[in-house]
Amino acid sequence: MSDIKERTPNQLMLFGIIGGLIGIYLTYLLPLIGEKIDGQIAIVLQTIAPTAGALGGICAVIWGADAVRRVAKYGLGTGVPSIGQIAMGMGIIAAMFGLAIVKTMVIAGPIVALVTASIIGFIIGWFAQNVIKMKIPVMIRCMTEIAASGTIIIIGFSAAVAGNFEFGNIIQLVFVNGVMLAVFWVGAMAMLHPFNACLGPDEKQKRLLYLAGSTGAITMAIIGIAATMTLGASGAITLILGIILWVIFYKKFWDEVYNDASSVVGTGLIPKTEA
Amino acid sequence: MVAIDPTLLNIILIGLSGTLICLAVHFIPVGGAPAAMAQATGIGTGTVELAAGSGLVGLITASYMYAYEPLADIPLVMAAGAMGSMVMLASTMLAGGFIYAYGVAVPFASAQVKKDPITGERQDIYVSKGTQGQGIPTICFVSGVVGAALGGAGGGLIYFVLMEIYKPLIAVASAVAVAGVFTMGVMYVNSVIPSYGVGGTIEGVHDPKFRRVVGKDVITSFFVSILCGVLAVLIAGGMV
Repeated sequence: MSDIKERTPNQLMLFGIIGGLIGIYLTYLLPLIGEKIDGQIAIVLQTIAPTAGALGGICAVIWGADAVRRVAKYGLGTGVPSIGQIAMGMGIIAAMFGLAIVKTMVIAGPIVALVTASIIGFIIGWFAQNVIKMKIPVMIRCMTEIAASGTIIIIGFSAAVAGNFEFGNIIQLVFVNGVMLAVFWVGAMAMLHPFNACLGPDEKQKRLLYLAGSTGAITMAIIGIAATMTLGASGAITLILGIILWVIFYKKFWDEVYNDASSVVGTGLIPKTEA
Repeated sequence: MVAIDPTLLNIILIGLSGTLICLAVHFIPVGGAPAAMAQATGIGTGTVELAAGSGLVGLITASYMYAYEPLADIPLVMAAGAMGSMVMLASTMLAGGFIYAYGVAVPFASAQVKKDPITGERQDIYVSKGTQGQGIPTICFVSGVVGAALGGAGGGLIYFVLMEIYKPLIAVASAVAVAGVFTMGVMYVNSVIPSYGVGGTIEGVHDPKFRRVVGKDVITSFFVSILCGVLAVLIAGGMV
């Protein structure tokens, strides 16, 4: 490896899990705190609560993008998009299971989903490594991480649209109206795009993480549009905050690109006649 | 005949349908990026895109059959799914074939077999130097349509089983949404697993790779799908 300082996989994993879960749980806890306080603050807390879910989703996108980077570096032979899609496939199955199985103990849902996703990811990784024989040393670990981040992305962004992560509520506000497809696809794109765009010999983690932040933020903005339909004001906050974060992260990514390039020159238009 | 516990039967059916989708991917002539530049035989996109694209159309036709034909049973829903997928993939290959023939101007030839097993035409003399064949020859087209039928039938089967589980528990619209999204999840997982097995590209049933990888992919897919089936049944427990 080069001498460039990189975030370790464990740091990013903690960032993704803790950040993601805090975001998801805030959508549930903020309204509860609001009920205790009452008054104007209660309304404010209730309005901003769903936005926290989307912020948690961005943490998971950054973690997932780094996990995709580590495994896809070996060359999967199928293109990077395939891993984003399997991540969301595993994530959505685990998310539905985790949120549904806990019944009235709503608070346990995201953690059960996270554990389930890790188990599915581990099993698929184990089979890929030992039965399909892909010979990628980080396969099992990365598959587990990718599945887990996929499920946090799905629950986080779903909670941003539905207001909380109670299964009946999510079915009504995310599944029945088809917003789930947007969560699924845009979430997959957010996770797979950073490495797909940055891959190559000059790929650097810092640049990729900023791009992951920007794809996560634009997912948040799109989810915000969906949330204005279901939640009204909360959705507008998610949308505006998403756009602001996108501009910030994209500017950071832009700066990194300029930093890493040896020089940036304007070539002008292609001449009409060949010289 | 021994009576099987309906829950166990559901799990096994979901496992089988996941395996069908996995098997289907091996039949579809996936060329990936090289095929997009007409340097390999097959359709110029990834395994997952093709399997998911045809599978999702199959899911739409299967769910239409399930919703509007009150007497629809498993074979009818599976046939509807197979039909949708076949139409989708055949039209994709036909449109791709027009582009390869009249846009890129390449002769259709497979680099994996000397003679097309269906038409008996020689292939090797038409393969351009430095390429892995071009376009979508007859055997690939037929193999692709067969694969799409398997995938669509598999998608229809999962959808049918899930609807039978969820429909008595929640409102019909919710059951449709949950079953549809779960089917999509299983479909993506099961179309990526074989794409890792085949390493991105495969020509179809005549490709030597087919025999080499189909066994282990199917085993993997079966176990993973059984796990998905168990989760699907447990989700129903959470709905009560």
